[in-house]
Amino acid sequence: MTYFLKFWQGLGTILIGMKVTFRHLFIPAVTIQYPSVKPELPERERNRLYVNMDDCIGCLQCARACPVDCIEIETVKSIPGEDLGKTSNGKKKALWVTKFDIDIAKCCYCQLCVFPCPTECIYMTDVYEFSEYERENLIFDFVTLTPDERQEKKKNYEEFLIKKEAEKAEAARKKAEEAAQKKPENNKEEDKLNDKDDKPKEQE
Amino acid sequence: MIYDWLFRLTGSETAAAIIQSLLPLFLFILPFALFAVLLERKVSAHMQDRLGPMRVGYHGILQTVADIIKLVQKEDIVAKDNDRLFFDLSPVIVFTGSYAAFAVIPFSGIFLGSNIDLGLIYIVAVTGLVVAGILMGGWASNNKYSLLGAMRAAAQIISYEIPTLLIILVVIMVSGTLNLYTLSEWQTSYFWNWLILGGPVFGIEKLLFIPLMMMSALIIFTSTLAEVNRTPFDIPEAESELVSGYHTEYSGMKFAMFFLAEYANMFAVAAIVSALFFGGFQSPFGYLGDLFNLPWLIPIEQFFWFTVKGIFFVFVQMWLRWTLPRFRVDQLMTFCWKYLIPFAFVILIIVGLITVLV
Amino acid sequence: MTTYDIIFYLFAAVTLLSAFFVVTNRNIVHSAFYLLFTFFGVAGIYVMLGADFVAIVQLIVYVGGILILLLFGVMLTNKITNIEIKTDSINALPASIVLGLFTGALGAAVLNTNWKVVESPAPEATTTALGNLLINEYALIFELLGIVLLIAMIGAASMARK
Ligand code: SF4
Ligand code: SF4
Repeated sequence: MTYFLKFWQGLGTILIGMKVTFRHLFIPAVTIQYPSVKPELPERERNRLYVNMDDCIGCLQCARACPVDCIEIETVKSIPGEDLGKTSNGKKKALWVTKFDIDIAKCCYCQLCVFPCPTECIYMTDVYEFSEYERENLIFDFVTLTPDERQEKKKNYEEFLIKKEAEKAEAARKKAEEAAQKKPENNKEEDKLNDKDDKPKEQE
Repeated sequence: MIYDWLFRLTGSETAAAIIQSLLPLFLFILPFALFAVLLERKVSAHMQDRLGPMRVGYHGILQTVADIIKLVQKEDIVAKDNDRLFFDLSPVIVFTGSYAAFAVIPFSGIFLGSNIDLGLIYIVAVTGLVVAGILMGGWASNNKYSLLGAMRAAAQIISYEIPTLLIILVVIMVSGTLNLYTLSEWQTSYFWNWLILGGPVFGIEKLLFIPLMMMSALIIFTSTLAEVNRTPFDIPEAESELVSGYHTEYSGMKFAMFFLAEYANMFAVAAIVSALFFGGFQSPFGYLGDLFNLPWLIPIEQFFWFTVKGIFFVFVQMWLRWTLPRFRVDQLMTFCWKYLIPFAFVILIIVGLITVLV
Repeated sequence: MTTYDIIFYLFAAVTLLSAFFVVTNRNIVHSAFYLLFTFFGVAGIYVMLGADFVAIVQLIVYVGGILILLLFGVMLTNKITNIEIKTDSINALPASIVLGLFTGALGAAVLNTNWKVVESPAPEATTTALGNLLINEYALIFELLGIVLLIAMIGAASMARK
């Protein structure tokens, strides 16, 4: 008896299953025709990074925050008399950014670099189609200066440094001369401060 | 008949025979395989709420053409330890076997390859060739997955041949013929005369036949489904355990031949079921050609109905594929030996008694 | 030479060649596969002789049944058990003497017989006639054969269960 029961149950359940699959034949597909129809991205999606160089003050906060070290920044101090403009939230820019490479191939889209930025100039875009044939092509360079300009800025700063050295040497010589006469204290302290600022920059 | 016309056209028996035997391949099997592969992908996609191929042509209708072009270009890889001769021969034999079955399938009133009296048994016989070819391919591949797949395929096909043959016997007892053409003609062009509804007999006999014939149709559909190795009976090529069974090692055109044979087989099986129980090429409700007195229209209508029925059963095969999970080997054998064969035997005996007594 | 002759010689060649390979091949699985072509050729010759039913049964029984069984046996035992299956020729000398004698006798018989040549009738379908003979005239023998086969099957099953 169970033999026939099993048979009928089998038949019945197959028919039920077939009914289900048949119904699904007419349910609209969930497929999105991707390249022609793009899915709507959620708010706060994380994709390719973008840096608005007009606002970047070269503070290196983002590079320090990145867990995989995929941001590489080099900055050069501006020389007096150069006007770098202000950022959109009113900070004064003081550094030329001569290198700002993000290796998107290494990026893990953790967004940790976005929050520390004081000027909010590094942020996620909605671009997610950036496959390349060469891995090198995934290193994005955001610097707005042309290579010549970068060289120029570096040279300017070096020349400025040399000039300053020369001035300093001059000043030191003068001071030595003056000290021999009066011993003024103020100038020395200023020099110390300058030195402190210079040292880390040269290491970078 | 097409043959007579070809004979008059070419004036040579040999040429006419060769042309006629090539007709189903180029006019039917190839286009059908192209269509069926697309249908399979579309049906499976829509049953899973997907869209399937959409890129090549409108809604992907040229996808299979592109696939064929790709397959033709592919490198034919032969591994070092393959048995070269039988490795090459196997797809040919498998395809020959499934193509040979088309020789006796009546496509329409005026076109069937060979009007032999043994039609049904002949189909069963040439299936043996497919089994041998599959075993050959599996063994020559020198790959354990292939060999296992081939063994399973052979065991399965042989087991399920028994219920198929028993049901064919039932049909023979009721209709008194083995000839597929006569069988189709016998189930006239009205659906209540089809064998599934008792055949063109009247009275109490017809009433008694209806449930029996429905059962028989079910059994033969199931067992032929198993013979073409389709899900839920696809353990010979179970992807998740055997890579893809006996054609794992094949690539390029040889793989395409296996593929073509599989789809040709699917249609052959569908055609057999429809010829046995669903009137073959007959229309379900008379012919427009009869109605308007246009005799040339009838064969075209018959071809149309034959294709429609064939494709419907192919569709049911695909439908089942996406409904049922795969059998285990023991379940497979249990199903055949403990359910299908006893049921077929009982039907055979009852039908025999009815035909003798009533 | 008509088309039919060509087809006949084709089938005959297939049969003989593959049979030759069956005997001479050293790989036992190859031999089994060549047997497929032999059976197929023989079936073709049956068709040429107008024995369509016999041809089909030949295919069903030999290709669909016995050959597959043979292949299963050979494949499963060939590599799994480590027993070398001998496919060498042994006793070559006595065998060739007997073979020579036998061939000579057969050849002499063929050559010396006065063959009767008759116009071959057009082949007709034999199925109906065979069916009638089996069920009406030779019903008893047919049934007996069935019982013998059944007994063989039961015997095999009971042996397998032990
Ligand atoms: S998203 Fe994360 S990994 Fe990518 S650059 Fe920013 S901090 Fe680095
Ligand atoms: S944190 Fe913002 S401002 Fe600072 S270097 Fe990075 S991008 Fe520029």
